[in-house]
Amino acid sequence: MFKKDEQTQEVETIIGPSVHVEGDFTAAGNVIVEGTVSGNLKTENFLKVGNNAKITAHVTAGNASISGEIHGNITVKEKLELASTAKIFGDIKTKSIQVELGAIMNGKCAVGDDHALKQEDKSSKPIKIKEWKMAEESIKNRL
Amino acid sequence: MYLYLYDHFLNDNSYYKLLSKIEMRLTDLGIGGKISRLSPLKNLKDLINDEIRFGVKTIVAVGNDETVSMVINNIVKYEDITFGVIPIGKQNFIARDLGINDTETACDVLSARKIEKIDLGRVNNTYFISGIDIAAENKITLECEDQYQISSETETCAIHICNLRPAFLEGAYEEKFFNPQDGMLEALVMPIAELSKKFFGFFKSNERISQSVFPFKKISVLTKKSVTVTTDGKKVLKPPIDIEVVPQKLRVVVGRQRPV
Repeated sequence: MFKKDEQTQEVETIIGPSVHVEGDFTAAGNVIVEGTVSGNLKTENFLKVGNNAKITAHVTAGNASISGEIHGNITVKEKLELASTAKIFGDIKTKSIQVELGAIMNGKCAVGDDHALKQEDKSSKPIKIKEWKMAEESIKNRL
Repeated sequence: MYLYLYDHFLNDNSYYKLLSKIEMRLTDLGIGGKISRLSPLKNLKDLINDEIRFGVKTIVAVGNDETVSMVINNIVKYEDITFGVIPIGKQNFIARDLGINDTETACDVLSARKIEKIDLGRVNNTYFISGIDIAAENKITLECEDQYQISSETETCAIHICNLRPAFLEGAYEEKFFNPQDGMLEALVMPIAELSKKFFGFFKSNERISQSVFPFKKISVLTKKSVTVTTDGKKVLKPPIDIEVVPQKLRVVVGRQRPV
């Protein structure tokens, strides 16, 4: 009679336009934000931020679609979509990104899977060591 | 063994024919049992304790939502007692949400004996099955899971804590909300403007209005002034108010079709 656990059961949280949430907000399922949030916002599933929503928080989500304003860092495990009305003031880290014309981003942006990002880090180390050795040799030559 | 608890308003002569019809039907179905009429002079708790000691396994509330609430709070401590409802009169939303649409089909539902374990809510020391309403008299803050707070931008909003779907939201949300077996309750924060739409008939059942819905396991109501909190039926509580879900608490006989 009631929906069983075996069937797909998505818990959903809706933060409406007239509501303010403050603190460490960790949701069990999908989250739809139309109001304001401050603190930390985390979900393993899908996050949707509406046109008039304003979030002053670090955001972590599985997938996200942003149309509103976020002041804080965003970490999205899979796909991040930024609509034309999106305004992001913070760093972004995601596997893939889709940005519409008109979206505003002000911060660092790291896109790619973790493996690719780690490869980038590894390749930078020898260059730094090389540069250090070159600098040391030039000092010795002057002396 | 069945115990049928008749609410005291059924003593009125207007219900005589209906009750006779019900009793005949229950006998025909082989689920007749002891009938006890509630009254202000009878102590319901002692009555139920005695009957359970004599071997009663199923207790059926015959009446409305207030009857259901009263009986549930007295049987909730018994793990192996099954609860049933025969709805009579007005205000029978709980029975409807359990798939028992009217008095006639209630007997057949009891006979079919499809039993589910459902969650209950607990507000301070009172259990509820459907939900509680917090009147929109002043600014209210909800503290959820001891981790975050929910407040309204405007002072005029109503808050409903739901286990079953509220009557005024019939058809408005998909089945993902208001499931009494998911181990969670839902806090519904509703601006007063939307309530007006409901009262003046502008509310469309399929329209997703600008409400907020927060699934939770534990919530506290924070307010500087006193608020009126109404549980199933008419009980009124005063702050401090702590609300939590009690998962899989009640064994209940349900109908096959639950309304969406």
